Amino acid sequence: MSSLEKRLAAEKRFKFYGMFAMTLSLFFVLILMYKIFSTGSGAFVRTTINADVYFDPNFIEVSSNSSKKEIMKASYVDLADQVINQNHPGLDEENFIKVREMYTRKFDYQLRDYIANNPNVIGKTVNLDISASSDLDQIVKGNYPRNVPEAQRKINDYQLSILDSLDSKGKMSKTFNFWFFTNGDSRDPETAGILGALMGSFYALLICFSFAFPIGLLASVYLEEFVKPGKITDIIEVNINNLAAVPSIVYGLLGLGMLIGVFGMPYQVPLVGGLVLGFMTLPTIIIASRASLRGVPPSIREGALAVGATKMQTVFHHVIPLSLPGTLTGTIIGMAQALGETAPLLLVGMVAFVMEIPGGAFDPATGLPSQIYLWSESAERGFLEKTSAGIMLLLSFLIIMNTVAVLVRRKLEVKW
Amino acid sequence: MVDQNSNYALQTSEVYVHYGKKMAINNVALNFPKNEVTSLIGPSGCGKSTFLRCLNRMNDVIDICNVKGKFLLNGNVDIYSPDIQVETLREKVGMVFQKPNPFPKTIYENVAYGPKIHGIASSQNELDEIVKDSLHRAGLYEEVKDRMDDIATGLSGGQQQRLCIARAIAIRPEIILMDEPCSALDPIATAKIEDLINELKENYTIIIVTHSMSQASRVSSKTAFFHLGNLVEYGETGKIFTKPDKEQTNDYITGRFG
Repeated sequence: MSSLEKRLAAEKRFKFYGMFAMTLSLFFVLILMYKIFSTGSGAFVRTTINADVYFDPNFIEVSSNSSKKEIMKASYVDLADQVINQNHPGLDEENFIKVREMYTRKFDYQLRDYIANNPNVIGKTVNLDISASSDLDQIVKGNYPRNVPEAQRKINDYQLSILDSLDSKGKMSKTFNFWFFTNGDSRDPETAGILGALMGSFYALLICFSFAFPIGLLASVYLEEFVKPGKITDIIEVNINNLAAVPSIVYGLLGLGMLIGVFGMPYQVPLVGGLVLGFMTLPTIIIASRASLRGVPPSIREGALAVGATKMQTVFHHVIPLSLPGTLTGTIIGMAQALGETAPLLLVGMVAFVMEIPGGAFDPATGLPSQIYLWSESAERGFLEKTSAGIMLLLSFLIIMNTVAVLVRRKLEVKW
Repeated sequence: MVDQNSNYALQTSEVYVHYGKKMAINNVALNFPKNEVTSLIGPSGCGKSTFLRCLNRMNDVIDICNVKGKFLLNGNVDIYSPDIQVETLREKVGMVFQKPNPFPKTIYENVAYGPKIHGIASSQNELDEIVKDSLHRAGLYEEVKDRMDDIATGLSGGQQQRLCIARAIAIRPEIILMDEPCSALDPIATAKIEDLINELKENYTIIIVTHSMSQASRVSSKTAFFHLGNLVEYGETGKIFTKPDKEQTNDYITGRFG
């Protein structure tokens, strides 16, 4: 074989190795995606049971004239029981409990919300789709097997027979589970939603941005434009590069020890979570910003200085605006990283069970990744699909943020 | 020694410049007559650009650059005195660079920037007038009057350089320094800039660094020849290019080295 043939063969082999590596990694990504989507897609659908609901004034503590506040405060447990009795006549006490378990535990809340939105419904009969309990939901979706001994099932034989008779009457249906997007966390998988965690992450990122962006920008401008390079700047530079590589759990410890321990900030709140994420993102922003400041041609600085601009005017009128696309891109990518960071949230307590949707950075909250972590720890099958759905949401936000970063750079970049 | 002759826009003497330990300018003394064009010529690395950048203290931004010497503006203002604000000096001594460097903003903003930061115009109308006048003097107005809000980096190289000249004269300097202003331009754009220099010398003192000896002979009345940081010869342009006193100068202009 001639030497040229040998070299060409080597090139072919190399191409093959490259394609093999690519295919393999794509294959793993596809498996991951398939797993997440096949498990998670169930979370967007909810099983409902169609029932005639008579809003019997005898079982309702409020009237149609009551204020919204009174309506929200009242109890509707009796009304819910009444509705079940009405739709399943002739139940003894034992069977009543079994049938009640087929409906969501939050049946009364669903009735309350309906009355709150339609106060005139009291005294009338309405046909409503009532959410099924998560266990029934999982049976209908086929995630729990039916053909196993009764003791191994969460749904017993009696409940199955009721389910089948409801099904044959066409009373079982599925609706889009908007609760997943509008509710906070819940003990019951069928009513658990991601909005609380989403808002928690939103406030944390807001704090993270408002803390890290100005400080990062000013620090990089000072280091790059004003300070004379020397030993001290070298030490600072090395430290910043090191800090960018410090594991996030260390920043979590910093938040726990300093912000909560020394400054006495509250536990579990997005304020602390956001500050910790801010510490973590700061080096990334400084590095990105310095790189883009360095990318501004010196001729622009000279041009401004030559018409008599001060150093400060040169930097703020010309250099920073030109470096901003790069800085913003780095910031968004740093924030995307912060959004997915779990360890710091665990350490500052943003991993508790929080039902309320946080109204600000000072309310107890979880974040998206810590909510996913919480759900993944739950034993119930219903939370498994929530876990995957949460991951889908998190991944979508990461993709959106990274796309925005690319678009910002394309859009604002100056063509020379 | 510097004399107090006010026919000179700028007088320099005993100028030494070091980059760290490396000497770049060695004891240069040179005076620039008012409303005349002086060209600085010499081979690459001879220090002519360094010397030019001393005249509006552009070397200040280079940390390792150390400038010593006497620089008198209009016979009485020592430009390196601690009392002198470098920004005020640059208002009087404008500069045009080798590579056109318009700001990536609109044409209007490029010219208006200097007057704005120095507070030269008291009203928007006055500012408009200054911009228009400066572009006019730079011979660019007719070409850009309909697209003042276009981004300046979209202009051709020659137009960009004339825009930079307009930007320099918008703050009404007394002296304009030009550092090889045509080296990045084609012959037609170069010819336009040279015509412009001839017009501008009516009102401004111009000091131009150039690699092109034909350009030096076309635009300047005085020429200084630098070599290895030394000022070898200074005199009337005509004389330097026909009957130089020094053999080194003769070798350079006849193309025997450099």
